Amino acid sequence: MAARLAGAFALAALIAIPQVVTPYYRSLTLAILADVTLTVAWAFFSGPTRYLSLATGAFFGAGAYVTAVAGSRLPWPLPVVAAGGGGAVMALVVGALALRLRGPYFAVFTFGLAELTKHTLIWYETSVTGTVGRLILAPPAPLVLYYTVLALTVLAVTTSVLLRRSRWGYALVGIGADEERAATLGIDTTRVKVGTFALSAAFMAAAGAAMAPRWTYLDPQVFNPLVSFQTVIMALVGGAGTVIGPIAGAVFLGLASEILLLKFRYVYMLALGLTLIVVVLALPSGLAGLAARFQRRPSARQEPITPL
Amino acid sequence: MKLTLLVDIVGAGLMTGGIYALVALGLNLQYGLMRVLNVAHGEFLMIGAYLTYSLHTAWGVHPLLTLLITGPAAFVAGLVLHRLLYARVVAESESREALESRSLLLSFGLLFVLQNTALLLWSADLKGYSYLSTPFHVLGTVFPANRLVAACVALGLSVGFYLVLQRNLMGKAVRALMQEPEGAQLVGINISRLHGLCFGIGIAMSAVTGSLVSMLFELTPFMGLPYTVTALVVVILGGLGNVMGSLLGGLLLGLVETASVYLVASDIRIIASYAVLSLILVLKPSGLFGR
Repeated sequence: MAARLAGAFALAALIAIPQVVTPYYRSLTLAILADVTLTVAWAFFSGPTRYLSLATGAFFGAGAYVTAVAGSRLPWPLPVVAAGGGGAVMALVVGALALRLRGPYFAVFTFGLAELTKHTLIWYETSVTGTVGRLILAPPAPLVLYYTVLALTVLAVTTSVLLRRSRWGYALVGIGADEERAATLGIDTTRVKVGTFALSAAFMAAAGAAMAPRWTYLDPQVFNPLVSFQTVIMALVGGAGTVIGPIAGAVFLGLASEILLLKFRYVYMLALGLTLIVVVLALPSGLAGLAARFQRRPSARQEPITPL
Repeated sequence: MKLTLLVDIVGAGLMTGGIYALVALGLNLQYGLMRVLNVAHGEFLMIGAYLTYSLHTAWGVHPLLTLLITGPAAFVAGLVLHRLLYARVVAESESREALESRSLLLSFGLLFVLQNTALLLWSADLKGYSYLSTPFHVLGTVFPANRLVAACVALGLSVGFYLVLQRNLMGKAVRALMQEPEGAQLVGINISRLHGLCFGIGIAMSAVTGSLVSMLFELTPFMGLPYTVTALVVVILGGLGNVMGSLLGGLLLGLVETASVYLVASDIRIIASYAVLSLILVLKPSGLFGR
């Protein structure tokens, strides 16, 4: 009940924010909302299943390219919808191939996928179309973009809440705990894994499509591995095994990145790396795990879901 | 195909391959032994390259002599990193999967730290120096002498290391640990000491490769990741934990890449290596020479 109230209050505030604050704070909120969407979408797949995906940047970039290529021909928000669908299809293909791989193989494969897409696109743009990047003509109004991304964030968080309560969500946790046992218990592990991966990719691609008009000019560097890593770090800092964890991590690090990235780029990235190391060593279940430890002193180490 | 072109491709391919083999060997040593996939491996290569650059340009140390500094320095750094980070993760992780994903994240953190430290220290501008860029004639074609020297040193170190593993007692212990970790423990091999040692050697190999690479190409703080990817391709090609596989895989990849650059186009190289990586992961994750 308290969580529902807090959620309703947060939503009301987020709807009101662009009407009262300056464009700078609106754009800051927008960037953080996009981070929250990516992180929540990453965490509802990778959190319970423990499949460490580094493909976030690939889906985000592909979505952004959909807007860049088709944005001027389709009325808003159709590019976002199309990107979501395209991301899901891309994830279905990749997932069917890659989700047989476990552990670091999967992570390396997804990372390689993002780089492969980027370099193929660079090669294609320079040698076939003869350009380096694309201009986004006639972008939608800033307020339209804001509410599009807010809608995506709300959808992603709702999906994450519903997943946790459903049989599908339990199946995901079962896969993370012991995949063979889950299969023996009658879970169609391939369908559950690939389906959830596609759903998560749909959100990532849609977020990319909705954020693309902010840049007006787009080149293949939008397939930035930093997006993938930042998402993982945000989720892990917050705690990938809970609903609130990824949101908290994304807000916290999203603020830090928006404030520090432009002024102290290298220092920020260095601090990001150190944060990741500290989280892995000292906070294996993130800030959410830390909070839980303070709330009810558990007997030994019992967490609802041990994340990655 | 003309003979000179063939000599060109094979010669250049083997030279590139020798460098690849040495980086890959270092990475494989870490993974095969500890199940730690160190994606920051190439960053140590980058740091090694910059150290050689600084030592050479600031104090005039001969580039080849800097190997005697970068190697041991990286070895010590590896020991310290192992003690501070990886030994703790190895001890705390309850399953092999947990260990693999946590150590992977650790090394990603390390990648960010090293790359941005280099950016702060040396800036993002291209750096370089010229060493032995005199032509060297072999069988009707010309190679720059520095490439020949770098490749010979790299190949010598790789083969030397392989022989050490085959011949002496420590090498036997390492191989035993790769093949059967629990059995190795049972016969009294001190795992944690060996882990630290091999982690250090692996990183030293990467840094030494960096010193060699600095003689050939210009340096940027971003040069590490492509080498990590190449090393990964080689390690996966040759099989995780398979030392001979890495050696052969490195040479093979060097040949294939050089051939594709000569015969197709140069910008296809990086696409080719990612494509090979993805294909092998999907089709045969145990590697070409894996069982």
